[in-house]
Amino acid sequence: MNVASVIVVGVLLALVGLAVWRNIRKGAPCACGSCGACKGDCHCQGGESTSRER
Amino acid sequence: MANIKIALAGNPNCGKTTLFNDLTGSDQYVGNWPGVTVEKKDGRLKGAHDVVIQDLPGIYSLSPYSLEEVVARNYLVNEKPDAILNIVDGSNLERNLYLTTQLLELGLPMVVAVNMMDVVKRNGDKIDATRLSKSLGCPVVEISALKGEGTREAAELALAEAKKGVKGERPHVFTGSVEHALAHIEESLHGKVENATSRWAAIKVFERDKKAIETLGVPADIISHVEDHITDCEKEMDDDAESIITTQRYNYIQGIVGTVLTRSSRRASTSLSDKIDKFVTHRILALPIFILSLCVMWWLAVAEKGPGTILTDWANDGFLGDGWHLPFTTHACKVDGKYKDMEFEDAQGEFAKQDASKSKWEETYKESYNAKNGEGSYDKALEAFNEKAKAEFKPEKEGDEFEASEFEVLDEALAKTVVAKDVFVEDEETGEPVAKECDCEKCSKKREAGEECDGCGCGCGEPDKWDVDYAAYQKAKEWEEPDPSQFGVWVPGIGALLGDGLDKLGVGETVKSLVVDGAWGGVATVLGFVPVITIVFLFLAFLEDCGYMARVAFIMDRIFRKFGLSGKSFIPMIVGKGCGVPAVMAARTIESERDRRMTIILSTFIPCGAKTVIIAMFAAIFFREMWYVAPLMDVIGIAIIVLGGIALKKSRFFAGEAAPFVMELPAYHMPTFGGIFHHTWNRVKGYMLKAGVIIFPACVFLWFIMHFDWHFNLLADEAIEQSMLHDMGSWIAWFFAPLGFGSWQGAAASVSAEIAKEQATATLGLVAANMDGASTAAQISNLFASFGDFPKLAAMSFMLFNLFVPPCMVAIATTFREMGAAKWGWFAIAFQLFVGYALALSVYQIGVLIAGGGFGVWTAVAILVDLWVLWTIFRPARKANGELKLENGK
Repeated sequence: MNVASVIVVGVLLALVGLAVWRNIRKGAPCACGSCGACKGDCHCQGGESTSRER
Repeated sequence: MANIKIALAGNPNCGKTTLFNDLTGSDQYVGNWPGVTVEKKDGRLKGAHDVVIQDLPGIYSLSPYSLEEVVARNYLVNEKPDAILNIVDGSNLERNLYLTTQLLELGLPMVVAVNMMDVVKRNGDKIDATRLSKSLGCPVVEISALKGEGTREAAELALAEAKKGVKGERPHVFTGSVEHALAHIEESLHGKVENATSRWAAIKVFERDKKAIETLGVPADIISHVEDHITDCEKEMDDDAESIITTQRYNYIQGIVGTVLTRSSRRASTSLSDKIDKFVTHRILALPIFILSLCVMWWLAVAEKGPGTILTDWANDGFLGDGWHLPFTTHACKVDGKYKDMEFEDAQGEFAKQDASKSKWEETYKESYNAKNGEGSYDKALEAFNEKAKAEFKPEKEGDEFEASEFEVLDEALAKTVVAKDVFVEDEETGEPVAKECDCEKCSKKREAGEECDGCGCGCGEPDKWDVDYAAYQKAKEWEEPDPSQFGVWVPGIGALLGDGLDKLGVGETVKSLVVDGAWGGVATVLGFVPVITIVFLFLAFLEDCGYMARVAFIMDRIFRKFGLSGKSFIPMIVGKGCGVPAVMAARTIESERDRRMTIILSTFIPCGAKTVIIAMFAAIFFREMWYVAPLMDVIGIAIIVLGGIALKKSRFFAGEAAPFVMELPAYHMPTFGGIFHHTWNRVKGYMLKAGVIIFPACVFLWFIMHFDWHFNLLADEAIEQSMLHDMGSWIAWFFAPLGFGSWQGAAASVSAEIAKEQATATLGLVAANMDGASTAAQISNLFASFGDFPKLAAMSFMLFNLFVPPCMVAIATTFREMGAAKWGWFAIAFQLFVGYALALSVYQIGVLIAGGGFGVWTAVAILVDLWVLWTIFRPARKANGELKLENGK
């Protein structure tokens, strides 16, 4: 691999790492839009955006 | 001094939280979703820090049918606040006073605050607060919580009542025979319950309210003793005890409202909302109207000439792909050459013909060469030719490298005898030869109108096929692929820019493939459907904001009740149209554990936003002329919910009656552009974000395991069968064989859909990259064609399987959490997997049988499975698990 390829692969892997780290930290986003408070960056599975507790 | 507790109680959306904020200064979220404050919230009254204001959940009554009601009731009965401040919506007096009559029976000091007086005055109505106060036997004050008018006075009145500690003279709500029965019950309860709540306790015993009886600790012998009084009353009134109480409360309330409320003469007797509801909630018209609304939505999104398809084609092929010509500019070629003055589409068509001539003639030549000189002789001869050419190669400038030839005419004499027969250009979607175009007037007019030519006797409509000899082949070689930038204003797409950029950087082909085909290709496949999902979400936002979706829950209640669920179970399914995760969580509002579990199991059968992408892709590639396939998926989802619900309700785990369902139908109103835009943008943004943080890394990973073997050696495109992905897919392909897509590609796409459902489309794009085809759509079409003789059936089967098996990982994890017990989580997964598999199996196997594909083992299995499913739906219902006994704590 030449230098350009190494750099491009490096950038790509960094972006992949960023995406995975974001998912771990914030949880996967969903597209429900139903509670509105999350503004599309939803934490529904964490239960933080909804107040429906049992 | 001990704190004084004042409880705020009232219907949902009556302004309790607004009042709470005004009195305490707390910054609470105020919204229209019921159950926003399920938990109790308290605050200190401004200027009186020994006074605690308790904001209770919005409830319609003190019945035991919802968690909110039970929470509020338990607080009022067990913790006994010093006073109740009952907020009543003045513009909906009749409905709100129902709760008021129940609160009065609790025997606590109470003040009624009639809220939204600004709305009442705007409507031209008048409320006689003094008369209302006399009727109810407690102080009544008019307020407008939104404007802060009268709120302080209400709080001070409540405080004064709390300090007095005396309840007023409570009204007699019920008729003689009921009061007689209640008096007997109260007498029986004397000493067993507190005096202050004896009236309320008597009513609860009369209604046979099991939860209240349990909370109050009423002994079973007293229940048995008073049962005769209750039964006598029921016989006399010809109704059940609970209904008697409800009816008489409303009769009493109507009497009061008639004397205290003066309606404006200018108000219409029937509101516009009521008029619309006559049709929308009609017994017969309601469901067809709902299905029609879905059809309109899907037509806009995926119909061949609809806005969704036009924009998606532009997004996929143009903006995200190779590029596009600016509209309203000329697309005729200005450059001298073979394409001069030709329109770009015509130039592409001409090149396709010449390229097909070239390819087919070369293929025929190779066959002739091998026939003459022996099998495999052409490849050997070509290899020898290239070796010789390489040895003689002299680079003209620095950096020049030898490129091996893929085809050469090695035997000129043979070439002159070779004629390729029936050459045709393949239609991208059907794989069939493109039809001939006729220039006659009739056909030209039809083409201009966008209609298909049905033949005029001149040969048009027939497959366009021709023969290619050596001379025609040599001419065909002269045609190069038209450069779109020579045909008007050409805007390169992101894919083309990315590829060109990487070329300029000098990146190697493998890395370029990783970035362009792997990472970008997968993400672009998903992003290309943004127009479709935008239209779907826009439509849903309009239906939700205008108030129609609330009616849908009401409509579905009639249907759901037939199999033991209520319309409340459909509300999570409406939420599920966006995403399955909040749909599963929305089932929390269902009070019955059994019904809640059933709702969780069934709610993800409604195709969510991610599944919409699968529907859109398959509709575009395989069912372009059949626009009704897309709404059919929603209809199938609802049918599965209904039939699955019927089947589950007949099992011993889920048998039982449905809970009553009361819901508020908000008045219709024209949604604001900002509101719809906001809702739609939230969802679309979430979808695009998902493409970036889930689809993108998944595609990179899939590209990697598709291009490397188990020893991490990079593989050539032709050696893909040695890749890790090929092996992994092959291990499980057998599972999908009866469904018509039993290949490593089908298996890989289906399994990857568990990461996120739209990943299936991205994976298909990736695994089909080696297939023939000028576009991803053509490649996927050819991929399914390679599965067998019935590609459309296989495509339908694939779509049904991925829509109706367990949802994505996140939704599955949420299902397990919400179920509480792992065994129910596994049951849900097993049920959903069975439904998806059985449906796909039935459609494929029976479809093949009908299409003349023959009867096989799996056809028989499909029929047997269908018969068993029919039995589970139509077998007799099972009774609920015994009767609940009225024993304390049991």
